[in-house]
Parts: sequence; C-alpha cells; structure tokens
Amino acid sequence: MKVVMVQKSQRNTIVSIILTLIAFVLFISVSLFEELADLSMVIMIVGLVLLAASWGVYFLSGKSAPKEEVENVITVIACRNCGQVEERSFAPGDYIFKDMGQCKKCSGPSFIKSIYSVSPKKE
Amino acid sequence: MTSVLLNIVWMVLFFAVIITFNQRLQLYSYQRNVEKAVVRLEELATKSKEDAINSIKSFAPEGIDLRGDISGFLEFFTIEPVSLDPFGVLKRLEHLLDIRRSRSVEFVSRIAPKATKTEKENIEVILEAATAVNYIYKVVRHFLLLGKKTKSLMIFVQLDMQLPMIMKQAEAYYAAQTTFTAGKPIGDGLGPLVASKLIFGSPQKRIAEDIIYSEVDIEKRKVIVLKAEGPGGVVGKPGEAVKELVEGLEGKVSRIIMIDAASKLEGENTGEVVEGVGAAIGDPGPEKYKIEEVAVKYKIPIDAIVCKMGLEEALTTIKKEVVEASDVIVERVKKMISERTKEGDIVIVAGIGNTMGVGQ
Ligand SMILES: [Zn+2]
Repeated sequence: MKVVMVQKSQRNTIVSIILTLIAFVLFISVSLFEELADLSMVIMIVGLVLLAASWGVYFLSGKSAPKEEVENVITVIACRNCGQVEERSFAPGDYIFKDMGQCKKCSGPSFIKSIYSVSPKKE
Repeated sequence: MTSVLLNIVWMVLFFAVIITFNQRLQLYSYQRNVEKAVVRLEELATKSKEDAINSIKSFAPEGIDLRGDISGFLEFFTIEPVSLDPFGVLKRLEHLLDIRRSRSVEFVSRIAPKATKTEKENIEVILEAATAVNYIYKVVRHFLLLGKKTKSLMIFVQLDMQLPMIMKQAEAYYAAQTTFTAGKPIGDGLGPLVASKLIFGSPQKRIAEDIIYSEVDIEKRKVIVLKAEGPGGVVGKPGEAVKELVEGLEGKVSRIIMIDAASKLEGENTGEVVEGVGAAIGDPGPEKYKIEEVAVKYKIPIDAIVCKMGLEEALTTIKKEVVEASDVIVERVKKMISERTKEGDIVIVAGIGNTMGVGQ
C-alpha cells in the first residue's frame, strides 16, 4: 500500500504546482491587461487565496497513514512416498520439514516441503 | 496605474519575504519532514511494543507487570568493548554477547514461562526487533528536539537527508517483528534451509550453542553439514561448531563451504546466487574470527555461496525467489564438492543464518 501513498502525495504536489501557476498567471495578467485594472484588488485576493491553498495542499500531502500490506504466504505439503503435493495458506505452527502425518492419497509420511511469500501483483 | 503600483508592492513583498524569511522557511520545511517521520516512527514504536506485549501475554504468569517489564527491557543496552587496546577484543565482545544472550533468555523465561522452547526463542527475536524500532524512534526524536531547541538548520538538513534510509530500516524491523510473531521462515533462513535440504532424514547430533550437524555422503565424500537448530528463531554459534569439528578431525578437512544471505545492491535481483571465497557470515565478529582462525591454522580453503536480498527481505517472510535459489545452491554445493574435492575427503558445509520456521 506504500505505492498508493506515494501516488497520492505525487498527485497532491502536482495540484499544488498547478494552483501556484494559476495564481501567477492571474498576477501577471493584471499588469499586462489594462481592462483588468479595475478588478486588480479582487484578482490579487483570489491569487493569494490560490497560493495559500497551494501551500496547504503541499504540506498536507502524504499525511494519510499507510495501510498494512497483507502478505500471501503459502505452505507446500508434500508426500515422501507418492509425490503428492498440496498447497495451502500458512497456518501458525507451520515450519519447513515439519512432519504432517499421513498423506491423504497413499497414507505415506508427508511433510512441509516449503513455505514462502508471494509478492502481490504489481501493474 | 493601480496595477503598476500593485505590481511594485507585490515585488517588494516577494523579495522581503524571500530575503528575510528564506532560512526560516527552509528550516520550517525540513523540520516538518522530520516531524512527519517522527510521528510515523512513534506510531511504529508504539505498535511494535503493543504487538510484543500481545504476543507474549498468553505465556505470561499471573500477576506480572508485563507492560512495565517489556518497556524496561526495550531500553536494554550493550556497551561495546574498548578497542583502543585491540588485544583480545573479539573474546571480550563474545563474552558480552554471551551475557546479553543469557540475560535475554532469562528475561523471556521469567515473563513467558508457559512458552515452549521454540516459542521462547521466537519471543527473544520479537523483543530484539521491538528494541531496534524503539531505538531508532528515540534517536530520531532526540535530533528533532535538539534541532528545535538550537534552531539549527544543519541538524535538520542532515537528518532529513538520512530519513529515507532510516525509515526503510524502521519499517523493515517492524515488518520483521510481525513475521517473527507468526514464526514464519525469513529470508535470512536461506543458509539453514539449504543445510536442511542436504541433511533431511539423516540422524543429527548437537554441537556448540544451538547448532546441530549431520554427516551425509555426497559423491563418496564425507560431508558434515551444520545449521542452527530449528524451528525457533536462533542463529547459534556456527563458528564455534566449525572450530570444534575441524579440531576434532585434527584439521583433516579439505574444504569449508559457507552459505549465507547477502545484502543486495540496488538494481541487483533478489535470489541471485553468487560465489566467492571467505567466511560468509554476518555476525558481529567472534564467529567469523573462529572460522578464519581455524581455516588458517590448517590451511583449509573457505568457499562462500551467497544469495542476494534486501534488508527487509532478509528479515521478513522468505520470498519465493529465495526458496527457488536454495534449490540452486543445493545443486551448486554438490557440484562444488565433486569438482573441488577427491573421493574420501571430508567437507564441512555451514548454513549460516536465523533458522526461524526451518526445521531439519
Ligand atoms: Zn502420498
């Protein structure tokens, strides 16, 4: 879920930059276009508000708490006799080379052959 | 007219702000980053303490101040031996590490008498991880408060630059603690896993602290494979074990092969298997020294096979890539033995690492 947090803070940064740019365009247009002179006070206030908003967005970004990742751990149970292999998710108490009693297929001795985590798929 | 005036006012304001408050603004922005990090670290430290308490609660005896005891233990420290006079520094270090270990064993026996041997060993590593998280939090908080007190930009800049690395470490230790609580095998368990695969099913003997070994026949060579005794979270004293074995055989060992997890560089792939020479063991020193010493004494070549992984990968549940690498290493070891030794030779294979979740 860390990825999500990074994306969110990146998006916030972009929003913040865009707000700043709009504010600057407003400030510059006041001095460039005579027609806007009457509105200069309003535009300046709007610009300042935009700047403040931009700062706010920038500083608030990334404040969301990252969620814990749920990892996918698989236990592989194998039979020493017939080669029957079974996969299930990890249960507390499992460890590699633990005796797992009788095999379901041939009732030979089975054991935990492997335990590993599979990383969640990334796009 | 107004617009021009306004423009000038704006420019003056702008420069005034930049010139007067430049450093203040910088300071503030660095400070904010550090504060954010400290908030997260505090959260991690609190959570890791709570998790530790929760995982020990069910083994604790009645009427014990578990919270107080654990809070106290998280502050436990070890003073490094003086190295100004280097004579015997490793012996002294080993002595201190032994005492630390026995203190931690004692503590766990006291707070969790109902736990089994494996559970007790796992509680030990849980507490170790929680101590690490707690320590990182306290150090970073110390520098934040120091920076605030002295208003020093220098402190904040230095801290801010190191934060990504520090946070990565703290998150890794916290994630590790969660894995330890479940007793899952970890990436660092690669060495013991390879050793277990080599000796699976053959009788085992105990040697040195928490180490077991087994003799197997590979291509008509007598191969002595050793690892920490699983499935509890221990590393044992593999150096001591190798030394005892070699001394017991009066040095008639033709090769020592060591298998361990190694930290990867950014850009390298997890699960990459690499060969080299030298004692592949990441202990604070004493165990490595023993192996090197005995190898030099009897002129035994040491081969190293390592599997690359990141810090977090080494401390959390073993990745599929690493498990696959263990099969590759088993084959490499066999190949190495048949290529570099003669029939009838004695070879020692040491699987180094924490054997949590790996039996034998
Ligand atoms: Zn079967």
